Amino acid sequence: MKEGLQENRLMEICEKAAAKIPRNKADQWEIFAARSVENEIDIFGQKIETLSFSDSTGIGIRIFRDRSIGYAYTAVLDDYAVEDTIDRAIANSLVTKKDRLNYLPAEDDQRYRNNLFDRDTLFSKDFRQVSIGRKIEMAMELEELTRNADKRITGVSDASYNDSMSHACIINSSGFSGKYSTTIAMVYASAISRESGDTSTGEYFGIARDPAGLNIKDVAVNAARRSTAILGGRKIRSGKMDIILDPMTSAQFLSVIASSLSADAVQKSKSLFKDKIGQKLFGMDIDIFDDGTLPEGLASRPFDGEGVIKGKTPVFKDGVLETFLYDTYTARKDKTLSTGNAVRASYRSTPTVGLSNFYISPGKNDPADMIGAVDRGFYIMDIIGLGSGTNPISGQMSVGAKGLMIEKGRLTHAVKEVTIAADILGFLSSFRMLGDDLQFVPGSGYMGSPSAMLENISISGK
Amino acid sequence: MIDNRLTLRILDILNSGGAAFCEIYVQKKISNSLRLEDGQIENSNSGFDMGCGLRLWHHGSTFYGYVDSLEEGRLVEAARILSAAGKSSGGGKVLDLNRELKTAGSRYNAAVKKHPSRTPAAVKKNILKLVDDACRGYDKSIIQVTAGISDMEEEVYTANSLGSQSAHSVVKVFLSINAVAARKDIIRTGYKSLARTMGYEMLDGGKAGHAAREASRIAVTMLDAVDAPTGELPVVIGPAFGGVIFHEACGHGLEADAILKDATVFKSKTGKKIASEAVTAIDDSTMAHHWGSYAFDGEGTPCQETVLIKDGVLESFLYDLRTAKKLGKEPTGNGRRQSYRHVPIPRMSNTYIAAGNAGREDLIASVKKGIYAREFAGGQVDPATGDFVFGISEGYLLEKGKIGSPIKNATLIGNGPRILKKIEAVADDLDFAPGFCGKQGQSLANEVGQPTIKVSAITVGGTG
Repeated sequence: MKEGLQENRLMEICEKAAAKIPRNKADQWEIFAARSVENEIDIFGQKIETLSFSDSTGIGIRIFRDRSIGYAYTAVLDDYAVEDTIDRAIANSLVTKKDRLNYLPAEDDQRYRNNLFDRDTLFSKDFRQVSIGRKIEMAMELEELTRNADKRITGVSDASYNDSMSHACIINSSGFSGKYSTTIAMVYASAISRESGDTSTGEYFGIARDPAGLNIKDVAVNAARRSTAILGGRKIRSGKMDIILDPMTSAQFLSVIASSLSADAVQKSKSLFKDKIGQKLFGMDIDIFDDGTLPEGLASRPFDGEGVIKGKTPVFKDGVLETFLYDTYTARKDKTLSTGNAVRASYRSTPTVGLSNFYISPGKNDPADMIGAVDRGFYIMDIIGLGSGTNPISGQMSVGAKGLMIEKGRLTHAVKEVTIAADILGFLSSFRMLGDDLQFVPGSGYMGSPSAMLENISISGK
Repeated sequence: MIDNRLTLRILDILNSGGAAFCEIYVQKKISNSLRLEDGQIENSNSGFDMGCGLRLWHHGSTFYGYVDSLEEGRLVEAARILSAAGKSSGGGKVLDLNRELKTAGSRYNAAVKKHPSRTPAAVKKNILKLVDDACRGYDKSIIQVTAGISDMEEEVYTANSLGSQSAHSVVKVFLSINAVAARKDIIRTGYKSLARTMGYEMLDGGKAGHAAREASRIAVTMLDAVDAPTGELPVVIGPAFGGVIFHEACGHGLEADAILKDATVFKSKTGKKIASEAVTAIDDSTMAHHWGSYAFDGEGTPCQETVLIKDGVLESFLYDLRTAKKLGKEPTGNGRRQSYRHVPIPRMSNTYIAAGNAGREDLIASVKKGIYAREFAGGQVDPATGDFVFGISEGYLLEKGKIGSPIKNATLIGNGPRILKKIEAVADDLDFAPGFCGKQGQSLANEVGQPTIKVSAITVGGTG
C-alpha cells in the first residue's frame, strides 16, 4: 500500500504546517497539500524527442480572519518557507472583502452526506507495473500506427504518452481531514495530412487509469481519420440547415454551457441561465449530470477542493434546468447546499466553483441513422474560436467549423472556413436527437456527450 | 542561488553517461495577485516557487527532470536518474566539461524602481479601487467592473556544458480591466490591459485610470452595436492588439520546432516572398520594459532583434539551442520556458509588424464597404495550417471611406499565410499590446504589435 504511505506523508506535512499557524491571527484555517509524480514522453520520427519526469509537492494555505480570506502557497517545504507562506496568507486576509458567509464548510452545508464512492476506482494498483521502456514503445507504436493509418498522412506532429500519480490531502480547523490518490495514463496523437495542396490536422487521445488500459490503435486510427476526413474542404453557401455535432464537438459546446451553470457566474450576473431554474430550455427531453463519483471519470474525487463530499447532481432533467453548481460560499448565498463543486486546479490556486464529470446522458440513436435522417445538413467534426467567439452573458455565439456536408442522408464533401452564429438559448431549443455514443474529453472538468442533431441552424459561408 | 562547486558537480553527473549537452536551470519566484469584483477585493494570493530543472541531450533526444528544491541531495538524485535514462538510450561520448564557466553578457538594461516586494498589498488594493472608480465614473451605464493586478519577482541562473553561465532578475507587473455596460437588455463588455517588465512605476502618471476609462469607452460604445455583415470583405485592422493575428496565424509557424515537425507552411520558404511587399515583421526581446522582453532567454542566450520578414521576403525563423543545432543555424535567443518545471522551446518575445508609410485615415478612406476591427477578444489557430478564427470585441462598419456604426458578434475567419499576401497597406502608427501565449502547456508573457493595416479580403462571420 505505497499510496497509503504517500498520503500519510502529506498528512504529516499538513499537520506540521498547521501547528505553525498563530492562533491569535487566524479564526479558521485550511491546508491543502498535493504531490504529483509525472512522466511524459514525446516521440518524433521513431525517436525520443523529450522524456521528462518530475516529483513535485506543495501546499496551499487558506486563512480565515475576521470574515476575510487570505491565500498563499509554497513549493518549498522547509520551515522558513512554510512560516513565510503562513505570514503571507495572513497579510492577504487583511486586504480582501469581509463577508459573513466566509467560514469553513460544516456538515449541514453539504448536499451529499453519505460517501458511497469507491476510492479504488481512482487508483490502479497496476499503475507501476509498466516500465518506462514499455511506455516509450507505446508512444512509438502510436506514432507509427498514426503515420501508416492512411497514405495521405504526411506527418505526426505529436505522439505522446504521459502519466501521473497524484496524492492529495486537506485538513482544516473544523476537524476535517481527508486524503486520496489517483492515477492517470494518457496518449495523444496529432496527424497532419495533405492532398492536392490542402493541409489538414486531426487529433485524438486515449485515457485510462493505467498504461495497460490504453488502446493505442484506436487513438491512431481516429487521429488519422479526423485529419483526412476534412481534407479538401470548401466553403458552402450561407443558409439555415440541420447540423449533427460529433461527440467531441458537442462536448466542446457543452463546456460553454457548463461554465455558465456555476452559481458563482449566476450570482454575479454573468450567466444567461440566471432566473431560468424550472424552465425547459432544450428542445427535447435531455438529461445532463455533473457527477463527481463516476468510476471512470477523470474528475472523480471522494470530496471537493474544500473537503465537501461529491455526488451525482442532475443539472438538467428532461430538458428542464434543475440546479446550478455550488461550492459552500455560493450555496450559503442562495440558501441551499453545496453540490461539492469547489475545484482546485493545484495547490497554487484557491478553490473556485467548477465542474466534475459533466455529461449529456446518451440517447438511443445509432449515429449513422442520425446522418441518414438528414436531407441537407452539416456534420461538424471540429470547431475553433469557441472561447473568444462566445459571450456567456449575452449568450451570443459565433464559431468557425469544419466537417462534412450531408446530402440526402449521406456524407458527401468536406467543408471548411464556415461559421455558425447562434444565441445559446436558441441553440439549446434546436436539439432534436441524441446518439448512443457517449464520449468524454478532458477540458475544464471532464466533459461528455453523444452525437447530437440540431434543427435549422444558421451557417455562414460564402 | 547555488554555488559554483554544486553547479559543476551536477553537470558532471549529468555528463557521466555521455551527453551531447547538459544544463542546469535555477529559478526562484515570488508572485502576488489581487482581484477586484463588485467594488471589493475578491481574493489576494501569494506564491513562492523555487527549484531546478535539469536537461540532457543524447543522440537527438532530450531528457528532462526537475525538483522543487535546491538541496544538494535532491539535485544529485535527480541528475543521477536523468543520466541513467540517457545512458539506457544508448549512451555516448562523455563531454570534456569546461571547469571555468564563462558568464554571458546581455545588452538588456532596464532599471526597476518600485519593486513589488516593497509595495504593500494595501497599495495594490488602492490601485484596483481607483480603477473601479474610474470605470464607474466614466458613464452611468457601467454596471460591473472586474480588475486584477498581479506581479512577480524572479531570479534565474543557468549553466551548461558549453561552458556558459548566466544570471538575471526579472520584475513584471500586469493590470487587467474588464468593464461591463448595460442598457435595458443589452450588455456589452470592454477590456484593457497594461503590462510591463518593470515595477509599479508602470502606473505612474495616471495610467491605471486612463486604461480604466479606455475599457469603459469600449463597453459603452458597443451598446450601440448593430449586427455585423457576413461574407468576404475588406478589413482594416487597428494598431497594437491587432498584431495578435500575425502572432497566432503566422508567428507560430516561424518558431523553428515547427520546421522539425513539418508543421509549418513556411518550411523551405527562406528567401522567398511569403507576404505582400508592405510587410516587414520583427521579433525583438531587447526593447526596454516591454512585456515580452528579457536579458536572457530560458537557456541563457542573450536577447536579440530578429527580422522575420523583410519587405515580404522570409528572412529568419526563431530558434532555441536545440532547433538551431539540428538545423545548422545560430540560436536567436528565443528558447523560452514558463518555469524550472518546463523544457525550453522556441517562442516569440515581442513580435510586431513594422511601421509603414501610409496614414491610418487613408487606409480607412480607401474602403467603400468593409469592416474596421479595432480590438479582439482573442482567437484560435491551427498552427500547422494557419487557419484562424478571431472574435472582434470592438469593431465598426466602414461605409464609403468613413467609420460607421459599431458591430457586434463579428468574427474574422481565414488562413494566416494567405492573409499575409493580402495586406495591401501598412500605416505609420505602430503600437504594442501585452498578453499571454500558450504553447505545449506553457504560458508565457508575449507582446504583439502592429500599425493599422488594410487586408483586401477576409471572411467575416456575423449575424446580419
